[in-house]
Amino acid sequence: MDIFPQTKNTEIINPDLIEIQKYTGTWDHSTVKHLLSRTIYGATRDQINECINKGMAVSVSGLLKESTIPDPPVNYNVSDDPDVMIGETWVDKKLSNNRLRGYRRRSLRAWTVGIALNQGISIQEKMHLFWHNHFVISDIQDPRFEYIYSQLIRKNVLGNFRQFTKEMTIDPSMLRYLNGNQNTRFNPNENYARELLELFTIGKGLQVGPGDYTNYTEDDVIEIAKVLTGWRDRGYNSRRADFTVETYFVPNRHDSSVKKLSHRFNEVEISNMGDQEYAHLIDIIFQKDEVAKFITRKIYRWFVYHHIDKQVETTIIEPLAQILRDHDYDVKPMLEALLTSAHFYEMTFRGAMIKSPLDYTISMLNQFESKPINNQLATIYNYWNLIIRISEFLQQTPFEFPDVAGWKAYYQEPGYYQSWINSTTMQFRQIYRDLVFAGKLNFNGDIRNNASLKIDMLDFINSLNGASDPNILIDELVTFLFPQEINDAQKEALKEVLLPGLPDYEWTVEYNDYLNNPNNQGFKSAIENKLIGLLQAITAMPEYYLG
Amino acid sequence: MKRRSFLQSASSASLPVLLNGFGVSTIAKSSLFNFIDPDSDRVLVLIQCNGGYDGLAMLHPLDQYSKLSDVRSNILIPENQTIKIKDDLGLHPSMEGLANLYKEEKAHFIQAVGYPNQNRSHFRSKDIWTSGSAADEYLTTGWLGRYLDQEFPGFPEGYPNETHTDPFAITIGSAVSTTCQGIASNFSMAINDPFNLIPLTVSAGGEVPNNYYGEQLAFLRDAILKSNEYSEVITSAAEKGTNTIEYANSRLANQLKNVALLIAGGLKTKIFVVNIGGFDTHANQTGGGDATEGQMSSLLLELTDALVTFQTDLKNLGLDERVITMNFTEFGRRIQSNGSFGTDHGSAAPLIVVGSCVNPSVLGTNIQLPDEIGRQAAVPMQYDFRSVYGSILMDWFEVPEDQVRSLLFDEFRYLPIVQKCNNISTATYDQELEKFDLSIFPNPTSGNSTINFDLSQSSRIKISLFDTIGSELEVVTNKTVEPGHHQIRMDLSYLPSGHYYVRFISDHFQKTMLVTRI
Repeated sequence: MDIFPQTKNTEIINPDLIEIQKYTGTWDHSTVKHLLSRTIYGATRDQINECINKGMAVSVSGLLKESTIPDPPVNYNVSDDPDVMIGETWVDKKLSNNRLRGYRRRSLRAWTVGIALNQGISIQEKMHLFWHNHFVISDIQDPRFEYIYSQLIRKNVLGNFRQFTKEMTIDPSMLRYLNGNQNTRFNPNENYARELLELFTIGKGLQVGPGDYTNYTEDDVIEIAKVLTGWRDRGYNSRRADFTVETYFVPNRHDSSVKKLSHRFNEVEISNMGDQEYAHLIDIIFQKDEVAKFITRKIYRWFVYHHIDKQVETTIIEPLAQILRDHDYDVKPMLEALLTSAHFYEMTFRGAMIKSPLDYTISMLNQFESKPINNQLATIYNYWNLIIRISEFLQQTPFEFPDVAGWKAYYQEPGYYQSWINSTTMQFRQIYRDLVFAGKLNFNGDIRNNASLKIDMLDFINSLNGASDPNILIDELVTFLFPQEINDAQKEALKEVLLPGLPDYEWTVEYNDYLNNPNNQGFKSAIENKLIGLLQAITAMPEYYLG
Repeated sequence: MKRRSFLQSASSASLPVLLNGFGVSTIAKSSLFNFIDPDSDRVLVLIQCNGGYDGLAMLHPLDQYSKLSDVRSNILIPENQTIKIKDDLGLHPSMEGLANLYKEEKAHFIQAVGYPNQNRSHFRSKDIWTSGSAADEYLTTGWLGRYLDQEFPGFPEGYPNETHTDPFAITIGSAVSTTCQGIASNFSMAINDPFNLIPLTVSAGGEVPNNYYGEQLAFLRDAILKSNEYSEVITSAAEKGTNTIEYANSRLANQLKNVALLIAGGLKTKIFVVNIGGFDTHANQTGGGDATEGQMSSLLLELTDALVTFQTDLKNLGLDERVITMNFTEFGRRIQSNGSFGTDHGSAAPLIVVGSCVNPSVLGTNIQLPDEIGRQAAVPMQYDFRSVYGSILMDWFEVPEDQVRSLLFDEFRYLPIVQKCNNISTATYDQELEKFDLSIFPNPTSGNSTINFDLSQSSRIKISLFDTIGSELEVVTNKTVEPGHHQIRMDLSYLPSGHYYVRFISDHFQKTMLVTRI
């Protein structure tokens, strides 16, 4: 079973980056850490070193290589699904009864996290989450629908935004979530039409007149709803063996009248084009420069920082949007320009983003090279499920959103990423990290298989350059784990956790005792317990929330 | 976010590293109420109803039923199944408990609350409602945050302190409420389970760099410190408090249960914000075939049950004169239903205020529906939501009217929402003054019409013209006028033929009337 994506070699076009100033400063640990903390979930020390050696250009083009689409999620522990044996996928299997949706749902969510956890040096999974948060769906009760939606994102992660929008417009889950499947010429339902404009493509500008939001009008919403009439989905919760999940077009439900858009779209008229009309509409919307700017701002807020002032707008957003337009809405050249720009690496941005719950939980496990306790299928899936469970507590779950605008952290002024943080979620973060290091994190939510993870802390510090000196040990850990330097008083305080009231050499002595007697349980557990305390203290610092 | 304030508050936060266990010290639970401070402040509980609820399915204008059945027959509750609270007004059958509270003089309804130039985006309209801004104004503070900033300047620096030991506002759940966003910090603390607040590890601080990284770091340090300080008082209040009645096991009831518990335990928090979602009923607002079943019906039942139980609990605890509860939503929905047994985004919607101190009345009149109801048409506003907020600030928190104007908007007009319990309002509101003739002639009109009215005392008058989407097309007049008879000319000749609304506001009277241009 190949559950991990593999990268394939795809050449990318090198954009002509006249407008954006390229980063030409030192390529070092700090810049690499910044690049990887924004583009992957928790870089290991080896991955950081690899990118330092490769240099910026090669690292960034490596991140942007397209991954192969991973094998589908499987039945990992349910023996009474008559259609799916353990180890087989359920994505194309009939649903004998609704109860079986439970494990399939967990399997899909776990699998999604599993891919992120094992992505390697690739931007794929953070872009996947970006698009998931962009083209939001929620409350879809058939995991087969959710899987198809998720595959649509994977296929388009680094592809063409316009083409992606077309495909998403008639995705079965999207048709259900925003009532597109109920949008008919007899009874137009404008839910999708509004969000297509407001959240997915052009964005809402200031309200400048009655029903006029600068980029579109209320009448456009109504006309566009008509354009999108006629689409339906099929296969939802189907129990038939020959089911297919698909979208289809019903000409009789389609409004064949001429639709007229407002002056915001140059009063263009759209005549009946049947099942091609939606694509034509999206071509019309994408002719507006504002679409490129809108998505570029969103990408900027995802990868760089939330605050976009006039200067950022003119020197960063507009040139990037131009690159996007120049490449006909292919996102890759624009991303490459962003990630190699001088702006991206400015000190002010390094560590200025509060990690999202998924980033926080997955990154911690990757940084410390955590593993499930064994390689059994159920153990692996339960380990992934555990991550889902925790990020759910922390207010972020794939396939579930607070509303159609996605997670507040990426649009809600004034705090943006700060919306992840409050006394409730901070307490959950604390419980999580303390249990991780104490080795007590268990998943008991599933029927038989209890899985827990393991972090080999001794292996981890043994590979540091100077773990036997407590000062070097702490230095190396905080350099690896924090986005920016901390001061000497903070380091002293950490040393006080490691060696309360003891001189430095006591650590050296005990650590060397352990190194010389690796099988002595007494020496080993003394060092381990000390490390648990130290790592809990380091990751409790607010600096660790930042990436 | 003002960076300066954060940096100031953060640079003082240099504390040693402490490690801690998970346990919360437990205090012996008392079932007595003797911890209640009789001098404690009044409490406002806000219920944010997410999604934009269909006000016409809550308060049914019975005098408009034939027109309603023309355009929303697939979701319309049969007239005889609504619960009449006035001759021309029937509540949804799921709201029986609220009808009873109304009879017991503990509920107040405000018809058609909104704002000029209704924005039909959930997100923008939520921002408008929570910030208390105009449709074209972009505020980054919440309306309660601004009020609290005025009362407690400099927050969060210097809080909590000896005088103010408790959080000023609490959001039940896992996110703070934007209504409580102040200049430098959000005044509300998010709590899920008041019995299970875990102290967070406090770490060493030091200077933070003067950049975005430093700004975020300072925010986190401050959040940890505040959370710890407030957690102790909250847990202690939860331990002391008690509920006197069983709450239903709904999301909303569980939140209100904790609110009652904390107030009973003596917590001096002034504002609680709770949430209920699911009102975005584009489809299946009602169940197939039966308009009294379906999503809206269950939501209204959840809302009503929770409100009634909460009010009963407070009454049993002797706290009912200290608490009022108000709900709000980002917009109402269209008058026409759609083909999916649902309704799309609209304009104004009613608000409900519950408590032993409310004015037991229905403020406002029923919508006047035109003969032809366009697809985009929605309920026109009668009251500006900022006048509702401001009146509550005046009556409940004793904020002077001039401050209300600066916190909210200059066009503020006082509304008699809270009228009992010796409230110390600075407002005068003479019901008799409402009784003056207001008419538009001719109506329908081919162009010019005259608005006639009599005033018994001088008053600030504003008359504006709205379309059926909720856009304010024109301000016809906005001035102070003397007592006596007045005629104000209005020219509709520039408008296409169709239906419009004239909104009239004086110091003591507000009304929205249908006018037809032919």
